Order: sequence, then C-alpha cells, then structure tokens
Amino acid sequence: MTTIPVNPRPHPTQPSGDPVNENRSLPGFNRRSFLTGGAVVAGATVFGSRLLVAPVAGAAPGLAAYTPGTHPQKTVHLAGTDGWVSMPQGAPADLPFFPDSLAPLNRDTYVFGFRDVTNFTSAQVAAQRGKAQISAPMMAFDEEDDITITLTNLGLLVRPDLFDGHTLHWHGFVNAIPLFDGVPELSLSVPVGRDLDYFYRPHDAGTYMYHCHFEDVEHVQMGMTGMVFVRPKQNRGTPITFQGRPYSKFAYNDGDGSTGYDREFAFMITELWSAAHWRDAHIQVSDWTDYDPSFWLLNGRGYPDTIAANGGRDSNGNLTSADPRLQSQPNSSLVTCNAGERVLLRMSNLGYQNHAMSVDNIDLQIVAKDASLLRGRDGVTNYITTNTVDVGPGESRDVIFTAPSPGEYLLYDRGYSYLQNGGGPGYGGMMTKILVGAPGHYPQQTVANA
Amino acid sequence: MNLVSHLAPRRLAVAATVVALIIAAAVTNPGTAGAATSEGLLCDTDAHQTFSLTAQDGFMSTPDGNSIYMWSYGNSTRGFQLPGPTLCVTSGQPVTVILHNTLPEATSIVFPGQKGVKANGNPAQPQYTTPIPPATTGSLTSMVQGAAAKTGTATPSVTYTFIAGTPGTYLYESGTDVNKQVQMGMYGALVVRPSGSTCATGATVCHVNDRPDSAYSPGHEYVFMLSEVDPDLHLAVERSEPIDWNSFTPRYFLINGRTMPDTLAPNNASWLPNQPYGALVHIRPFNSSSNPLPAVIRYLNAGTVNYPFHPHGSDERVVNKDGHAMAGPAGEDLSYQKYDLDVQPGQSVDALMDWKDVENWNALTNPIPTQIPAITDQLLVGPDTWFSESPYLGTKNPLPTNITSNNECGEYYHIAHSHSLIQATNYGAAFGGMMTVFRIDPPLGCQN
Repeated sequence: MTTIPVNPRPHPTQPSGDPVNENRSLPGFNRRSFLTGGAVVAGATVFGSRLLVAPVAGAAPGLAAYTPGTHPQKTVHLAGTDGWVSMPQGAPADLPFFPDSLAPLNRDTYVFGFRDVTNFTSAQVAAQRGKAQISAPMMAFDEEDDITITLTNLGLLVRPDLFDGHTLHWHGFVNAIPLFDGVPELSLSVPVGRDLDYFYRPHDAGTYMYHCHFEDVEHVQMGMTGMVFVRPKQNRGTPITFQGRPYSKFAYNDGDGSTGYDREFAFMITELWSAAHWRDAHIQVSDWTDYDPSFWLLNGRGYPDTIAANGGRDSNGNLTSADPRLQSQPNSSLVTCNAGERVLLRMSNLGYQNHAMSVDNIDLQIVAKDASLLRGRDGVTNYITTNTVDVGPGESRDVIFTAPSPGEYLLYDRGYSYLQNGGGPGYGGMMTKILVGAPGHYPQQTVANA
Repeated sequence: MNLVSHLAPRRLAVAATVVALIIAAAVTNPGTAGAATSEGLLCDTDAHQTFSLTAQDGFMSTPDGNSIYMWSYGNSTRGFQLPGPTLCVTSGQPVTVILHNTLPEATSIVFPGQKGVKANGNPAQPQYTTPIPPATTGSLTSMVQGAAAKTGTATPSVTYTFIAGTPGTYLYESGTDVNKQVQMGMYGALVVRPSGSTCATGATVCHVNDRPDSAYSPGHEYVFMLSEVDPDLHLAVERSEPIDWNSFTPRYFLINGRTMPDTLAPNNASWLPNQPYGALVHIRPFNSSSNPLPAVIRYLNAGTVNYPFHPHGSDERVVNKDGHAMAGPAGEDLSYQKYDLDVQPGQSVDALMDWKDVENWNALTNPIPTQIPAITDQLLVGPDTWFSESPYLGTKNPLPTNITSNNECGEYYHIAHSHSLIQATNYGAAFGGMMTVFRIDPPLGCQN
C-alpha cells in the first residue's frame, strides 16, 4: 500500500527558546492562549499552559496531588476589547464592507473579543486594548475546581464613543446563579475601565462555550466567543482499559472508558457578517434581522487559514504568529493524529445557523450533546454513529473517531454553501483537515488543538 | 452617539409592564371581562372533548409599539386570540373540533400526529381542483377538507373528529394555503394527557407520558408555541395586496404569540387582550422532600425554520418528542439532557427542568468568594433591572432611586431564548423576541 506523505506539522514561533516558564513574572507563553487557569499554589506560580502537560494526579511539577473533596483554585484574567482580524486571502471585495478601509496592514475585519491577560501587570493588561483575538482563548478546567475569572473591560479603541459593557456567560453551566451568569439585565455588566470577578465550581464534565452577553446579538457576532470544557474526575483515577488499550483521558465519567481518547481538538463554530462588522467600526448600526453572513469560521479562521499553525505570545504577552495576517487569530483547527488513536472532537456553535460537520471515510461517534453523556437514567448507553454531526446555534457535541490508515481527511460543513470565503471561488469557509500519520509519527499531545 | 441614544433603541421600557406583572400575578383583573390572570399552561377543556373554533382576524401588539394584522383561531365563545386556544384532551378519548370560518379565504385544520382524522365524517384527504382534460389530476388546493371562504351572511364550517393519540404535545394548524395561513397565525397547541390522567382535576403529580419517570409538578406546566412574523407580509394581506415571498424576512419571533418582554406578562393580561398566553416559568429550587418534581415545558415549532432554544441556568431533559416517549423497545430510558433544544419546524419536544441550589451560598455560613462591585462600578442596563443586588436567594438590596427594581424579594432570574440570536430581538433590537425568563423564588416563596 502506498504511504501517502503526510506534511510534518509546522512548528509555530517559539517564544524566547525556553519552554519551561515556571516562577516567572509573566505567564507561560505557549503556542497560543490556551488557558487552564493559573493555579494558586503556595510558593510557586504555575502558569496556564503547563497545567495541561500532565494529568492533575500530581505529575505536574510544583502542583500538589489532588485530594478528593477539595476544590483546587484556578484563576484566570480575561480582558474584553476590540481589534482587527483577517479573512482568507483571495476573498472578493464587498465594498465598502470588506475589506474595511480602517483596517491596519494585514487585516480586513473589525471584531470584538477576549484576551487572556492572566498574571499580566496593569501596564501589560492596558496594552492589550485594541488587540482582541478571535476565537477567544480556550479554557480547560477539572470538575470541582474553584475558578475565579476576572473580566476587565478595556473599552473599544476604534469606538471611544461606545460605552458598551461586557460580561462573561458560561453557556450551559448548570444551576448557575444570576450574579455569575453574565446576563446584564438580570445581574450586572462590566463598564469600561472596570473589573468583575466571576466564580464557577463545575461539577459536570463536558464541552461548553463562553461568550459576552451584553447586547449579545451584536457582541457574539462581533467575536466574543470561546471554547471552555471541563475534564471529568475519572481523569484523576487509574487508567481504564477500553477496547484493549488503556486510557487516562476521558470526556466524561463514563465508568467503562468508552469516552477515552488520545488527542482532543476543539472547534468554536461561527459565521461572520462583514457588513455588520464594518458598521460597528464606522459608527453605524445593523438591523440584526437582516443577518447575511459572508464568511464561515472554525476557531475564528476560514479555510485554508484553519489549517495554519497555532499562534503564540511574546514575553510581553503580545500575540505572535508566523503569518502576520493571523496574529489575532491564534487558534488552529488542524487535526493531527496517528493511525489507531482515538481522537475527541469538541464542537460548539455560537453562530446563528446550523452546521453539519462531516468527515468522509471515518465513522464519527457522538458520545455527548450539550455536555451530557448520551446515556439514560437507567444506565443504557446510546451513542450515535454517523458521518455528519449537526450542531445548532448554542449546542455542543462531543465526537470520537478512531484514526484510520495514514492520509489526509477533510472535516467540513456539509452545508456546502458555507464552504466559501465571501462568495469567492474555490474552497473556503468551514473546513479543516485531519492528518493521520503512521503510529508514533506525531508526538504525544500535551495541549488541545496541538 | 451618546450613551442614552445608543442604549435606548436596544432596551425596551419594561417598568410599567413588570410592575403590573407583579401586582397582577394572583389577582383577577376586572378589565378583561372576568378572565383571571394566571401563570403556566392555560387550556380549554371540555367534558366531551368538543371544541368550537372560529377562524378570524385580529391584531397582535409588539413591545416596540407595532400592531400587526393576524389571522388565527379563536374559541367561538370568546374572541380573536393568537395563538389559537390550547386544547387539553386525554389520550384514547374522542375529540371533536368544529371550525367556523369568517375569513375571506377557505381554511381548514390539520392535526399533525393524530391518526384517523375525519372531516364531516369522511376520512381527511388532500383536496384538488377538478382536472381540466387532458389532465387527469387537478391542482392541490388544501391538505384536508375545510370550510369555504365567508362571502355572505352564513359562516361556513367543517367538523373534524379523531381519537386523541399518544400522550404529548401537538400542533393544530391550517391545511390550506399553508405557507401564508400559518405565517398569518393559524396555529394552536393540542396537549394530550396520558389516559387515566387526573392532571386536569388537580393531582399532586402529573406525567408527560405513560412512564413513571416522566413525572412533573402539576402547577408548573408550560407550553412554548414558537413562531415568527414578517410584518410586511401581514401588511400585504391586510391590504389585500399580493405577497412577495422572495422578500420574506421575519422581524418578530414569538413565544405563545408574544415577544419579550410581553412574554413575561401573565395569562390574560389586560393590556394584551389578543395574546392571552404568557411564557414566564415560575419555580422554586429543587428539594427532595418539599419540591421534588420538575416543571415541564412543551415546545412546539409552528414556524418554517428551526429554533435553537437555550435555557440559562439549567439543563432540560427531553422525555417526549412528537407525541412519543424517548424510550426503547424494552422500556430503556432514551431521554437526554440538553442546554439547547433545537426544535425543528413542526416538531414538538417535551422537556423536564428544574433548578438546584447546589452551592447553598449563604451570607453568614457560606459566602460567595467574590465581591459585588460598588453600584458606581456596575453597569446596569437601562432604567430598570431584575437584579436583586445580592448573590443570595431571598435577599434583596437597595438600588439607586433612579433605577426601577423588577425584583420582588431577592428571587433569581434566568433568561431562556433562541440562540440564533437574531431571533432574540424585536426587529433587530436586543433583549427581545423569542425570549422569556425562569423566575426562581426562595424555597418558601416571596413572603409579602
């Protein structure tokens, strides 16, 4: 059998050469803003990216082993602001809306977004005004964590006239109280120049999403959307053997290892309506019932940008990228795995349309919807095997597949009219690739989407 | 664009509505011809399950001041209402629906999900024009026999009969010129209770279907009839002008014929005389001894696109869809929890929900680990708020006097709305449309 050559995964720009960032005054700047929350551990500051290197059961340097019944404290600092991003090259102009005449070099679209500013100094936080990213930083936590997320509203650099507040809504968080749920009319929102602490103690593993709920139809479309997921207690236990292989990473407390996986990739599914983004930059309002998107994005990028490498950060916390166009869009959607491995796809939709994520030649098994394992109250499991996973606005799906023989496979929206960029020719939009290598080809995954 | 003018178009003045809501919640309102206000499912029942409906026109009102021409079914002894009356029947019992037509066009009723429906004693069948030779079939005029247009003094009618099918929630809607008539408002809900159900007479527990694990709290049953309105189309019908379907664009998105914040007003609110059904869900926290049963929300989609309905603060367990239990052939529990129900056109979804006080926050014994900012550092949106100014259930703290409190006694509020957020607007203005709230009272309720 011919071996299809698989392109080696391009390595992103490494920040200052030293991958270990413990006990520094600045966060560990790994390849993109992937947050697991800075753990508050006496005598040491352990930074976001490093917590994902090892399971919580004590293997991470400087991190105490988990004591059942306790709630490890995790802290995150997010900033809400505006910024500029880039749609894929070759997308036809739709003047005056696209490309935006106010956009700086290598950008064409105005956005709002969140930034991870955990452990930044005040000056570094303030310097992120006008530097939003889409999609927002991915966040990963464990069941029973005590999480404090501080949200700072940096205001909108392009719109000093706009007094919009921001909030944080953890979409799908069960039994929330209004104060921490982020709906301004039912609680409060963060004015420009102020902070608010949100607190969460998740008890339920699964795939969720978070977004701003201030004038949500606008702020969500403008880009304040991100992935958040919670790892199950089962990850802290002894490995479970499933179909002959041991697993220590699971999507849920399945009890039988049936949601065990080797690698995970998360996808924030959205659309982008160029005219509305232009109007926000040019002091106009949109009639949201005229919604008419022209770009379709996975993790804030359209194909082929979806398969480009993850971005990074420099020692001042600024976003970096091998491709300057994608500097404010650090989250890659490229899936890499080795033949025979189980891969978990976490899909969350914060667009306003349905998207039917499909793969050819690989069976997809839906094990959960909306952070709920597909198992009845009587314990009967009913996972769904398919090749097309429909995700409606506000829904999530957890999908597991077993990587087949080495080669390239496409993960794409079967809504074919969304596989384009701004109406231009060729493939674009909501599509990414699954690259399967021979066993051992790709090194063990340490962080999602890497 | 200064602060006030920026916010004003995006916020609706709700103070008057909500103050009236609080007062009217448990009081018979004399302005509505004796119809008492209430919360939750309000349905028409009959000892012989016989109902007389009149297809007629009227107007609905929207919170942004719009008044839209509608067609719908009314109970023949009452007047126009949108949506049509919710009919509550028992599975296995005969149902009779007499349709009188006062519209200038023929109309009819189809009962999706029911079987063996008869029209005037004959099997319900699609209707065609007389074929013109050499054609051997005519063109389809209606999905079912109906009542002719009213042209003279007599009011045409047709009588439908069927045996109520499996327990669940069903639509009834026009079968004639369906894209126009259903868009105009010709739909209503049919709730079929399990046979032997005592829910109508005040039981302590009700069930969605024949499974014991579909139990819910009788006083906490809700129908959410979801639909959408293109006001330009309705204006064309009102003026007897042709409809341009190519430019169909919905601007209003409805729960039970109302848009947010009218969805929060009680049933039979006097200021919404043609839209009698509210959608406020009013519960208390789960308690295994004093409050063990969930609420049930019966979703129906009378529109032509899916509505992805997202409740904040709780999951909902789907136990019944399209009149069938989520169960396997051997009784396996195939129910599942969702935080977003993507209800498809014509579909019904029955879901159980509750809210649990998991953390038991308490100002003295278990305070929240964060601080609420000073009022000057809070951005409360608009001239009123539902916020209690406290994280603790049952505690209400003062607001500045220029802000109206919509909060009664420190209860919690969570919104529930379509997550295709364009549908959570009133003609594009946020915090509107297909949206309602869950009100969670302290365990002993608000002590007034």
